Amino acid sequence: MIRNGFLLLLLLVLFSVFYFSLQDLLEFQKTSASYFLEYGLDETGSSNLVTSILLDYRLFDSLFEAGILLIAVSGIIWISKHEIEEKNAEFMIDKFKTPDLFVTFSRLVYPLMLAFGFYIIINGHVSPGGGFQGGAIVATAILILYYIDAEKETNIKLIVTIEKYLYLTILVIASLSFFTRGTFFTNIFDPGTFDTGTQSIYLIVLNVLVGFKVALGLWTIFTAFLKEGR
Amino acid sequence: MLFVPVYIIFIPIFTALVIYLFKNRYINYLALIAQAAITILLVLYHYAYTGNYENTLFYFGDWHTAGISLVNDEISEAFLFLSVFSWWMVLLYTFEKGKTDHHFLFFLMFLQGVFLGLLQSNDLFNLFVFLELTTIIVTILIAYKKTGDSFRAGIYYLLINTSGVLMFLIGIILLYNTFGTINIQYISTAIHVYGEETAVLFAYVLMMGGIAVKSAFFPVFTWLPKAHGVSASAISALLSGLVVKGGLYLFIRMNEMFAGANINYTEFFYWVGALTAVVGVMFALSQKDMKQVLAYHTISQIGIVMMGLSSLHDSAMFYGGLLHIFNHALFKSLLFLGAGIIIKAYKSKKVGEIRGVMRTMPFVSVFMIVGMLSITGAPFFNGFISKSIIKYGIIDSGIKYWILFVVNIGTATSFIKLSQIFFGKKTMTIRLKAVPQRVTMMTLAFACVVLGNFYIQIGEGFFGLPLQQITVTEWAAFFDYALALSIGLLFYKLVIEPDYKPVRYIRNFKMSFETANYLFVVFLVVMSVYFIVL
Repeated sequence: MIRNGFLLLLLLVLFSVFYFSLQDLLEFQKTSASYFLEYGLDETGSSNLVTSILLDYRLFDSLFEAGILLIAVSGIIWISKHEIEEKNAEFMIDKFKTPDLFVTFSRLVYPLMLAFGFYIIINGHVSPGGGFQGGAIVATAILILYYIDAEKETNIKLIVTIEKYLYLTILVIASLSFFTRGTFFTNIFDPGTFDTGTQSIYLIVLNVLVGFKVALGLWTIFTAFLKEGR
Repeated sequence: MLFVPVYIIFIPIFTALVIYLFKNRYINYLALIAQAAITILLVLYHYAYTGNYENTLFYFGDWHTAGISLVNDEISEAFLFLSVFSWWMVLLYTFEKGKTDHHFLFFLMFLQGVFLGLLQSNDLFNLFVFLELTTIIVTILIAYKKTGDSFRAGIYYLLINTSGVLMFLIGIILLYNTFGTINIQYISTAIHVYGEETAVLFAYVLMMGGIAVKSAFFPVFTWLPKAHGVSASAISALLSGLVVKGGLYLFIRMNEMFAGANINYTEFFYWVGALTAVVGVMFALSQKDMKQVLAYHTISQIGIVMMGLSSLHDSAMFYGGLLHIFNHALFKSLLFLGAGIIIKAYKSKKVGEIRGVMRTMPFVSVFMIVGMLSITGAPFFNGFISKSIIKYGIIDSGIKYWILFVVNIGTATSFIKLSQIFFGKKTMTIRLKAVPQRVTMMTLAFACVVLGNFYIQIGEGFFGLPLQQITVTEWAAFFDYALALSIGLLFYKLVIEPDYKPVRYIRNFKMSFETANYLFVVFLVVMSVYFIVL
């Protein structure tokens, strides 16, 4: 009790320091932010500035963010108790405990969700969204598929292999700009000579690859966990 | 040549992916080829840019401060060489197993690429991404054996390090709001403008909190013995020798960045280092498990490094601490790898049960003794050099000097205890045909001796340091060492060997995850009060 009270006091101190440090700043500096606002569309060909930062200005970071998912997937597969072949065996969710209403609605929602996911991925450079977000939506749609068809078999080994190949492809495509513009990890089309329409081709390709990679990665993770939960 | 940093980050990662995909014995040899390639590239890079490090700066996509940049200097380059060397050692040591174990090679090579990136980054958020990725890969490597203990240690490591790294992230956000950018070079030139702001000071506190967890400073070190004690010996060697130093490297980098702010950290971090060293030695003395002893000594040596690094940049003591990072990487890897061979042969980790190593495995014993002499700071071995530089820096300030002396006595005592394993009759053990293992140990032992004798040339070559004032053949040095050893022997016979109740109490002391987090909060509050309120 005394311990918890003391902890509360400590956290209060930390919070008040945090509060005062924010009060001290009269206004936030926006050096980078205003740069992105002004030049984002012209330089990267993406009207969605988040995508322009993710896939161009800070593509180097995004490669490793995708790498975190890749490592997490292979780590979970390695650490989980079951062998990889066992996971391919038929599945998982208890058929009798799932309400019929839920299954029926899942059938209805599944194609819409999948289409929405693909829309988010492909239009990542014009509207909110992108590879990471769309990939998560597609993975959720696949999760719903497990409720619809409880006997479904998943070949995790194949998915993991495809995921690794996709990551390799992303690395290769991201570094292609070295040959066209002489610098790593940016759009292969120079903004000086190509218009934003041409530049967006590169963004779409990268978004689709990242989207599939994320979807496959999340698919593997929750399949591994479902098996583990049994 | 400008893009060599990119190549040395992505060659290991690419190799890791190829190894994972092909799962072929012969493809696994690609790891060695890739390692050779990055070594050659690094040497060429070193010759191309020595003396004009400001030219190593480049931006991805030429976006300047809006984008990400990589940059190198003397310190980061020395760290790069150390990392590649350490990975060579671990790769050779484990290659008997690694030939068939493609999972292990995958994680190991990926970690190398990420770690080399961490050393060269010039962008705060990029640093955070690399920190996160190292944390995850190291967790998997700790839990790699898939036993109950290693799972527990892995999760403990993951949770506490993630909370530390998140504090680092909040610090980055505060800095971003203050400066509008997260380019390290830009912030370090502009920091004097906002040097008094609470936001900057609080960002410093939070970032140091994250770094403290990462590199196991005094109140938040509990993950280290758990993690390094249970993982495979080669992994322990890599983690203790190098990956922990990632935190210390960030400590150097961040203090460089905050140099213009109104922060006086010297005194505070000296005492944090001193406490870390004393507590680490105290725990090490009570342990009976060989790997636990070595793991606790990593903590105490980090404390000694901190005593040096806390001093101002460009002072001799700072370089003493820096040199001790390198020396510690060599001898601690050597000790862990040797312990791995001995544990495998005797099938026991207990210091009390292993006897007669000298007669059974003469080669391994000789290398282990080199490592022990180095860590206790004997003249002619590398530990002596860096410890002496730190000692000269504080020789006039009474109590600080005595703390270092007490730590030295503690180190001597616990390695006298560990050296018990060499005595005794020859025992029948499993015959190990471990040629690559012995070659790696020989290389490391050789490096320890070379650094201990040709330190003047090496110090000048890498850091441009005049180390002439340290003389190995001085009677006082031998006297100091003999004094520490004899007090250590006395202390061992009188206190440690009888195994009194306090010793047993310290040995059985276990800190729960809850308490560890509690201490982390306390540490943050103490830092806030020291750096902001006072």
